[in-house]
Amino acid sequence: MKKLIVKLMGGERFQTMRVSLFCIITSLIVGAAILLAIGKNPLAAFGNLLQGSGLMPKSSYAGRQNMFTDFMSFLDALTPMIFASLAVSAALKAGLFNIGVSGIMLASGFTASVLVGQSELSAFIAKPLVILIGIAVGAIVGALIGWLKYKFNINEVVSSIMINYILMYIITFFINTFFVDPISRQSKTITDSARLTLSGTRAFDLKFDVSLAFPLAIICAIVIKFLFDRTTTGFEIKAVGLSRKAAKYAGMSVPKNIILSMTVSGALAGLAGVTYFCGYFASIQPGVVPSMGFNAIAVALLGNSDPIGCIFSSFLVTVISKGSIYMSSQQGVEMEIADLITSVILIFTACAEFLKMYVGRLSMEQGGSEEAGEA
Amino acid sequence: MSDSGYIIEMKHITKRFPGLIANDDVSLGIRKGEIFALLGENGAGKSTLMSVLFGMYEPDEGEIFLRGEKVRIASPRKATEMGIGMVHQHFRLVSNYTITENIILGSEPLKRVLGFIPCVNMKKAEADIAALSEKYGLKVDPKAVISDLNVSTQQRVEILKMLYRDAEILIFDEPTAVLTPQEIEFLLDIIRGLRDSGKTVIIITHKLEEIKSVADRCAVLNRGKLIDVLDVATTSTAEMARLMVGREVSFTSDKTEAQPKETVLKVEGLTVEGEAGNEAVKDVSFEIHAGEIFALAGVSGNGQNELADAIAGLKTAVRGRIYLNGTDITDLSIRKRTEAGVAYIPEDRHNVGLVLPFTLSENLALKRYYKDGFSKKTIIDRKAFEENGTRMIEEFDIRSSRGNKTVTAAMSGGNQQKAIIAREIALKTPLIIFMQPTRGLDIGAISNIHKQMIAERDRGAAVLLISLELDEIMDCADTIGVIFDGRINRIAKASELSVNEVGRFMMGVEDKQGGGTNKVRTGGTAS
Repeated sequence: MKKLIVKLMGGERFQTMRVSLFCIITSLIVGAAILLAIGKNPLAAFGNLLQGSGLMPKSSYAGRQNMFTDFMSFLDALTPMIFASLAVSAALKAGLFNIGVSGIMLASGFTASVLVGQSELSAFIAKPLVILIGIAVGAIVGALIGWLKYKFNINEVVSSIMINYILMYIITFFINTFFVDPISRQSKTITDSARLTLSGTRAFDLKFDVSLAFPLAIICAIVIKFLFDRTTTGFEIKAVGLSRKAAKYAGMSVPKNIILSMTVSGALAGLAGVTYFCGYFASIQPGVVPSMGFNAIAVALLGNSDPIGCIFSSFLVTVISKGSIYMSSQQGVEMEIADLITSVILIFTACAEFLKMYVGRLSMEQGGSEEAGEA
Repeated sequence: MSDSGYIIEMKHITKRFPGLIANDDVSLGIRKGEIFALLGENGAGKSTLMSVLFGMYEPDEGEIFLRGEKVRIASPRKATEMGIGMVHQHFRLVSNYTITENIILGSEPLKRVLGFIPCVNMKKAEADIAALSEKYGLKVDPKAVISDLNVSTQQRVEILKMLYRDAEILIFDEPTAVLTPQEIEFLLDIIRGLRDSGKTVIIITHKLEEIKSVADRCAVLNRGKLIDVLDVATTSTAEMARLMVGREVSFTSDKTEAQPKETVLKVEGLTVEGEAGNEAVKDVSFEIHAGEIFALAGVSGNGQNELADAIAGLKTAVRGRIYLNGTDITDLSIRKRTEAGVAYIPEDRHNVGLVLPFTLSENLALKRYYKDGFSKKTIIDRKAFEENGTRMIEEFDIRSSRGNKTVTAAMSGGNQQKAIIAREIALKTPLIIFMQPTRGLDIGAISNIHKQMIAERDRGAAVLLISLELDEIMDCADTIGVIFDGRINRIAKASELSVNEVGRFMMGVEDKQGGGTNKVRTGGTAS
């Protein structure tokens, strides 16, 4: 058994990827066990997840819908998740935990909804404006968290959690007081020209949603990847994240890099906010912090806080969360079961670091005997 | 077997790690009641061999006999039960616990409150520990908290920890690496005392003088193989060194007379705050010339760290000025100072000198990554990183498993230090600060570093060497300064000072004419 584990996950090549895969497969097995235990067919249920995400054809479709429409709405849900997980990973590179993604999402989504979402601006002006506002609001809040960290040495986890609550209650107050839609009890729906998702687009006899920001999410991931792997700025942020003392000794500015990485992280969280509240949705529910901001932490960890890895892990988690609606309707499985499987994945990801360490130790112990076998 | 007189016998021990054989068919016998030393360079397999004995690794081949019986030591806990104790190089103490709590951790004496509620019997523990420390001359206050103690006292706690568990075989892994000369003497006395009370002591070290002064027998390891077991009394240190390194080693570095030229570094009335807000460096003034090695001697914790950090810019000066080639650099940032011409080899190579999870090539570029030739307009040139790395790896003989791509955390201490020195020397600055450059390294590496330091001097650099090793100071210095309690109380040409004089100034003897009756101030050894 131990030998098998080492064989699967030992060695340095692609180790993180193999460990992530191991986490995913293990959690799916556990998920299957849960489904079996409540008397459902796990294979059918997992199939439903794929069907619900438009990755496998369903047996029947309503009018003007097919697999493509499902897939497009899946992409629409995927977009903010990619941004949110990128936000977390950008902060992680500097050794910071940005728990404030949720609050920042609310703040940027709300600001954009109020400033642009109710206006008469044409789509060509309104949509870029929404994106810019998202970036700006996010960057400001992110920078604030970074500044608090360096100026008063306030742990970023504490300050970002508090900022989540502060923003949520302020925004709830404003929505309920000024911007509430009396029927839905949510904030007033934004105009179609401000929305980053073209909802109900008609073509080829189909009706579907188009996420305009999805290409931007992919581009952002590539840009962030480039920033961290190939620029001196990324080099500095990583050095600061891995060893503050050594970075300082090398002449890098620790405060500058902390604030910078939190600003980038905040801007990405802001993009997650506008693509979520002014794209996937068109209004904001008051009194609730979007759970996506927290899931994004685990998604980023599952992607080994690598921007490209974040795309894949966002994909996986969105398949489960998006597909679970269809699964619950088809199998009569509660939505909570899907959440449970997501949670199991997240727990196993949290173990990834431990796994790596454990494998390292095992292969140390076995190193000798294996070599003897080869010799 | 038992009548061979050996308390431990290790037979044909082989331990392999991926890519290397740490112990290759090593057979040793250790007699009851002797001090047995394990001598060897870094990576010779001393620590691995003792880790096998202490149950941290299981050998791939070979057998261990304890008191004549074949045993399998599967874990440190097993080893402890069998009466084997070990003091690791890096102490394993809980810093916010008291001495007593640390010592009893894992084998707490219990009492029953109200007849049934189990509680730690702290009173009994404290009394036991007081008695133990009395018996072995290891003075400690059982109620003191670890974080308030200096390194040497912490080590005493580690020793007490073994004694409290009735260990009969005591293993010390490089026990003197962190101690001052006086503390080393004291420790060696304790070790002799332990032997005289019937314990068996094994010391891992690469310091020949210590072996000569304390050990009865000594095993020499080289590249995992047992070279010889020697009777210390009848073997010269030169012979031991030859066996350990595998070639002749000259103890005195051949260096020519210094040819000091213009002043490079001038420090005037410098005062620097320490961690606790105290004045760690007090009104210090000195000069270093081009082509001169200025060695600063002193007992650990007398302001050396703060002084070096202040010159390199990691700490700000409270008062005083620092001039480099006549330019005031007191208010410059760390980066500006590096560019103005300060290279710095810091004491803490793990946390300060290297970003450990970075690769070797990244660490070798750590001070120049932003410059032309390493990056263009903030875009990093990976190829330039690699080329720079390859060049340094060759020139400075930095050994690692995967060259440029090796994560520095996976490298040995000696090679990590080589990497730092390579990087700093490559800056070709007029001033180089070497802070404890050879700490924990073996003879071969030490003599290499000394050669490099002298080569830098001969190139025309001003070298500031800060060291706790008196031998190193005496070997390398052109000018010696002695720091005590934050003040430099003597600066003189190396040729004008004897080892004993320097030693006295290090202890804070104020009268320059020196003598046994001078008042000696204590203190300054805060951890």
